[in-house]
Amino acid sequence: MGRAAFSALLALCAGISLTFLALPLVALFVETPLGDVPDLLGDPVMRDIIAVTARTNAIANALILLFGTPTAYLLATRRFRGRSLLVTLVELPLVLPPAVAGIGLLAAFGAGGLFGDELQDAGIVLPFTEWAVVLAVTFVASPFYVRQAISAFESVDPLLPAASRTLGAGPARTFWRVSLPLAAGGLVAGWVLAFARGIGEFGATIVFAGNVHGETQTLPLGIYEQLEANFDLALAIGVLLVILSGSILLTYKLVATWRVSNSTSLSPFALTRSRSS
Amino acid sequence: MHRIGKLGALTAVVVLVGAVVGVALAGRDGDQDKDATVYAASSLRDAFPKIGDATFSFAGSSELQRQIEAGAPADVFASASPDEAQALFRGGSCTRPVTFATNVLVLLVPRDNPGRVRSVYSLRSGGHRLAVGASEVPIGDYTRTVLADMHLSSILSSNRVSQETDVANIVSKVALGTAEAGFAYVTDAKIASGRVRTIALPRWAQPLVRYQICRVRRSGGGTAPADEFIERVVGAEGRRILRAAGFGLPR
Amino acid sequence: MRAIAGLVRPDAGRIELDGRAWFDSKAGVDLPPEERSVGLVFQEYALFPHMSVRANVSYGGTERTDELLDRFRIGHLADARPGALSGGERQRVAVARALARDPAVLLLDEPLSALDAHTRAAVRAELQELLAELALPAIFITHDFRDAAALADRVGVIVDGRLRQLDRVEEIGRRPADAFVATLTGANLLPGIARPVPGGAEVALDLGTTIRSGETASGRVGAVVYPWELTLAATAPADDDLNALAGTVGDVSVEGGRVRVRLGELVCECSPADAERLGLARGAASVATFPAASVQLVPLDDD
Repeated sequence: MGRAAFSALLALCAGISLTFLALPLVALFVETPLGDVPDLLGDPVMRDIIAVTARTNAIANALILLFGTPTAYLLATRRFRGRSLLVTLVELPLVLPPAVAGIGLLAAFGAGGLFGDELQDAGIVLPFTEWAVVLAVTFVASPFYVRQAISAFESVDPLLPAASRTLGAGPARTFWRVSLPLAAGGLVAGWVLAFARGIGEFGATIVFAGNVHGETQTLPLGIYEQLEANFDLALAIGVLLVILSGSILLTYKLVATWRVSNSTSLSPFALTRSRSS
Repeated sequence: MHRIGKLGALTAVVVLVGAVVGVALAGRDGDQDKDATVYAASSLRDAFPKIGDATFSFAGSSELQRQIEAGAPADVFASASPDEAQALFRGGSCTRPVTFATNVLVLLVPRDNPGRVRSVYSLRSGGHRLAVGASEVPIGDYTRTVLADMHLSSILSSNRVSQETDVANIVSKVALGTAEAGFAYVTDAKIASGRVRTIALPRWAQPLVRYQICRVRRSGGGTAPADEFIERVVGAEGRRILRAAGFGLPR
Repeated sequence: MRAIAGLVRPDAGRIELDGRAWFDSKAGVDLPPEERSVGLVFQEYALFPHMSVRANVSYGGTERTDELLDRFRIGHLADARPGALSGGERQRVAVARALARDPAVLLLDEPLSALDAHTRAAVRAELQELLAELALPAIFITHDFRDAAALADRVGVIVDGRLRQLDRVEEIGRRPADAFVATLTGANLLPGIARPVPGGAEVALDLGTTIRSGETASGRVGAVVYPWELTLAATAPADDDLNALAGTVGDVSVEGGRVRVRLGELVCECSPADAERLGLARGAASVATFPAASVQLVPLDDD
């Protein structure tokens, strides 16, 4: 196959893929009565939807960062038996269909589930509550963060934490002052993905938490319900979500290009001319 | 040799893709002569497959209406209330709908009744996990009618209410115990009989629940399978099956 | 280095400083690195790229930061990032950082390996000065014996994980324990078979000739002669007591005021005046003579 023909084939495939990916987004903006969007979003039902989405995702993201970071650090820096199994376990929700995640959560924490009796005795019922949404979002979104975080911590030159230890810093201080700052770029990248996945979460939420206005109805659940009630509102919510996710992604990309990549120490064998002074 | 290898592989891929697409297309044309595609309300999910062979899609009636309006390939449409079928008829999407069954609303609770719900009035105290249909779906509309007639509309705000777009989801939530109570049809109670308990609603409060069926007008396809299915539904065999499932029958 | 610092755990043994055990496999002692008092300068420097020079140096302790920045003449770089520095500057920062902790021992991992020849000499001189000034025990690793000769008091030669010889640096250079150490220190190594004779041994060299040594040995040996112990002459001397090896001159190079001459298999050394007098140039014939007393015999490494 000639060079030109190969390039043409590549371009054709790329053109098809990119058009396919762009089409729904473009269509969404074209079909939506954009001038009406502010009014539509001012609909009273939106207030609850946005509040629930904001609250549940804020808590979920905080949990993901709080628990996910040390988890990723452990899996990235320690080698032990069963490590690869644990890493696979962390990645599992990635390949799990969201509805299955919902069923799983029900099976664990629902009324008839594994911990159903214990929870009820403690007076805790999760379905139909915001905490169910938090759990669902955390479950489906954390692999996006943890996986990326593991990679970020692994890419930190191991010499640097070693140097920190020889300089008198214990493992905790080394994590805080050396490993974490150097991995920060990758951690943020992972968080962006997790956040986007979280605010778009639907399947596990609707199965586990239900569709309770003001309590569990998030933006994606709102779209689903408004599909039949008020199609324009459904479109408007879609536009809102696209803008939200898009802004986060764009912000991250801009920030990333300003930061200097500095996660590794310098090449040891670069012969340098001495600027002796 | 190397070049032939690459070119040969590319050709093979193109041929393979073409073959798959061809078979798929051919398959579709073939199916049109055999089974009808039936879009039916979720509450018919158990009875309809017993009435005849077809390709079924069960969901909330309003969802199906929307899909058909957007061009979904349905041959037959059966809704749990006249609203959806009539809307399609007025829009020219289907033939004149025919009423073929009725139903009755009930209150379902899980078998062990964790919420200690004895009647609709138990829900007045509030704080229960309640599953109802969203207002756009027939079951949701009917439920609101019943509650309004019984002056119990407040229970929709005093309880934790999950609005479902499909009555099957209401039943599953109650059956699993996720919801302490849910409003569904008596036919759903039959389907989930072992796992739920039925609480009757007063007869005077029952709304008029009418199921209607029609043939969807669409280009490129014989109407025979659709007409055949509809005939079975309204005919003796269909009526027998529907009655056994708990549906009421029109005169 | 890493074992001493505590970054790697040996299978068995004992590491102690001043009577205090840092690692003792029998007693189950294994102090973590932050509890040992080491200043480790990595071969790759391992400076924290996300911190300024000042922050790097004060990482181990802030009391001596300014003093160290001055001492190593990097004060003007205090706010720069390691990425902007030259190799030599980075090394100074690395050493300063290691010293900020006021360590009990300084460990330097191949401090001169990554430098070009010109910088090497300069840094070697700087290190000499530093080590003399610090009065700290220091351990460093090198592959070049000249570094060891210039900087060390004692030298340990480790090959394949085994310690071949541990001695004062002069002794290593004069009395190598085996063939490897001999060649490491720049000696000529002539393999052969020894036969004890009165006063020493006769060694039948693989080369063909037989020479005499003042040491006794028998069997397979390596005869060790240092370049500066060889005297070059135009013809073989009449003196029977001297060993003589004839050959053709190969490379002639001047190094540090002496002339290094390759004669066949041997590397010889003489003064520039002698080289001129003898007309030593490539292709010329010459003879190297050396007394039996200068021939050491070492066991050969089996190859």
